[in-house]
Amino acid sequence: MGKYTLIVTEKPDAAHRIASALDEKGKGKKREDNGVPYYVARRGKEIVVVPSLGHLYTVAEERKGRNYYPVFNFRWVPRYAVERKAKQIRTWIETISKLAGDADMFIDACDYDIEGSVIGYCILKYACGDKEGVSKRMKFSTLTKEELEKSYAELLPHLDFALIEAGSIRHEVDWLYGVNLSRALTISARNWSGKYATLSTGRVQGPTLKFIVTREKDIRSFVPTPYWEVKAEVEIDELVFEAEYEKENIEKKTEAAAILNACKGKNGQVVKIDIRKFQQKPPIPFDLGTLQSEAYGLFGYTPRRTLTIAQHLYLEALISYPRTSSQKLPVEIGYRTILKKLGKVPKYKKFTKELLAKPELKPREGKKKDPAHPAIYPTGKLPESNLDAAERKILDLTVRRFLAVFGEPATKQSMKVKINVDKHHFYLRGRQTLKKGWLRFYKPYVRSEEVLLPLIEEKQTIEVRRVILENKFTKAPPRYNPGSLLKKMEETGIGTKATRANIMQTLYDRKYVRDERIVVTDLGFEILGVLERYCPAVVSLKMTSELEERMDKVQTKREKRDNVLVDAVKILKPVMEELKEKEKTIGEQLSNAIKRAKLEERIVGACPVCGTGKLMILHSRKTGKRFIGCTNYFKGKCKTSFPLPQKGSVRPFERNCRGCGWPTVQVHIKGKRAWRLCFNPECPLKKERRKRIEMRNM
Amino acid sequence: MKCVICNREADKEDYCELHAKAYESIVEKHDVWKRALEISWKEYLSEIIKNSLTGEWAKEVAEYLIKSGEEQSVTKS
Repeated sequence: MGKYTLIVTEKPDAAHRIASALDEKGKGKKREDNGVPYYVARRGKEIVVVPSLGHLYTVAEERKGRNYYPVFNFRWVPRYAVERKAKQIRTWIETISKLAGDADMFIDACDYDIEGSVIGYCILKYACGDKEGVSKRMKFSTLTKEELEKSYAELLPHLDFALIEAGSIRHEVDWLYGVNLSRALTISARNWSGKYATLSTGRVQGPTLKFIVTREKDIRSFVPTPYWEVKAEVEIDELVFEAEYEKENIEKKTEAAAILNACKGKNGQVVKIDIRKFQQKPPIPFDLGTLQSEAYGLFGYTPRRTLTIAQHLYLEALISYPRTSSQKLPVEIGYRTILKKLGKVPKYKKFTKELLAKPELKPREGKKKDPAHPAIYPTGKLPESNLDAAERKILDLTVRRFLAVFGEPATKQSMKVKINVDKHHFYLRGRQTLKKGWLRFYKPYVRSEEVLLPLIEEKQTIEVRRVILENKFTKAPPRYNPGSLLKKMEETGIGTKATRANIMQTLYDRKYVRDERIVVTDLGFEILGVLERYCPAVVSLKMTSELEERMDKVQTKREKRDNVLVDAVKILKPVMEELKEKEKTIGEQLSNAIKRAKLEERIVGACPVCGTGKLMILHSRKTGKRFIGCTNYFKGKCKTSFPLPQKGSVRPFERNCRGCGWPTVQVHIKGKRAWRLCFNPECPLKKERRKRIEMRNM
Repeated sequence: MKCVICNREADKEDYCELHAKAYESIVEKHDVWKRALEISWKEYLSEIIKNSLTGEWAKEVAEYLIKSGEEQSVTKS
């Protein structure tokens, strides 16, 4: 090969797509060097497209070792130098450096956002030998051939340095907070107990944990209060409806009983009918946050899973870049072209035909903008490979949302009938869609209930079949789930669209929280307790969002990177001094919490035999064998015990047995599928199974 | 001083920060229950212990209050 143009991409799939899109024959040739793939294309001159593997460089301290804090001096280094699991990165960097040697032009084609910009910048600066100043930039939002060709033809003359600064400062500040605080916690606990356990917190992780802990405290301290609801079951044209009493919640039992007595056995009369027509506007296009929330609500996918799926669909050139905060669809994306392509799919044909017949296509848009990318939209390309069920669902959701934003508003009608029963008023409510509009496009994902009322006239007598009095109680606020927590993080402006899902996952990985409807563990309480007591500033929402805002300003050149960095260290220094001073106390507190958390992990559930103890996974002192025993054994109250499989790992399972209601465990043996085990020897399901086997063997 | 329920450091009187919050909640909601059902402090505590919607810490505090036979000072008057 002679001199060529070197294009750097963020991932191998993107490199393949770019090489194929730019190659004159439409086929980039795959080559390998030391197991590192790269692609060669010809377009007048030779082009080499080499992928990265996400971040190849990271922030690390200048001094070696991990057993000290605080650390304020750092530099950017190859990941393999500081991460044990990143050995592969060395060969990757070596290959890129080798390929850079024969290149006479450099192009950064990493994702056009803060992370992508930092990835490309580091490769061009460190692996290619200070080529960041001469490199050009490709900017695109989809990996379709047309957009990639256009982006190559209209190269940006230089890298987006403001974006790079904004990305770098984020890494540096997060590193400073993460490393210092996490080390302080881990070292304190280790020095006290002599045992190692990874504890972590960070600039965003701390405040996120605080949201969950605050909610958990409200739930666990919650005292319900009673109230009563009165309803009238009415019959109209042989159809039965439920009418609600005018006062939604009645706080006194005697008052509720008086209403019931007054209305019992009496019919009602229609006093007033209110009919209201209103329009329901189409939804706005998806930014990453709304896609993640919708996918969680509809399919139960965690934000992290949705992001992974969306990322895959993007790399397959099926949807546009998903890490976007934009809710705008600029006309340049070519609405009609996309709709025409989507029309080739039978299930969308009818809808695209209808939209294409419109003289003008104007999407409904949201307020949020993203300087680098539009909202998420389908490219109209058909999948080249088979998508799995989850990918198909996210793609269909994206397509239908795209169609819906161009749809007409839906017209709905609500009807409120006021019924008088012995001077007490009840309301009968109806809801009906008169014109479906955009709802047809988005039909599988529309969540609304229709209540059709028959023809009712004022002064009409209504037959009251019975009056119902319901005793209810107020409920504690709901637990956060991954979807609602993501929303909360977005609303309060902490983290970025690219990092929020991972921060949430870290809370699970560190065992600070568990379950889908998020429950805080003892360890989670203790960590936040320590942070709140000794360094409230680092879990303060105000401090985090202020810092976040200032880092955003670096991107628009309204704030200097150095100022942000200096101020971040200024906040952190006294915090670290306080943590160091209280290391012993903190260590004791955390060590005890770790101990309790480990114990909690082994609790299977309440003992169904004695009712007061808890069943735990234990090991026999004599034989070392694993079994389940009741905690009341140690008090001499309950001798319940059950054997457990000795191979593989056993952990408590969240759901109880559907046959006997006893708690269950999950057994996992390497190479086999994990299974659920009910250890109750008298479980009816087991008996049934035994019977079936006996019958078969007869 | 240790919390009478969980052995954590007690911040206020007998309780740690977490159980103190639950105690405050119990005291605060008593008035609503009294108005709604005209019940005594003891009956109220028994009711919230039985209720599946009561939070874990609030139940623990209510159980402790019943066992220790503490009178409710706020509503005594």
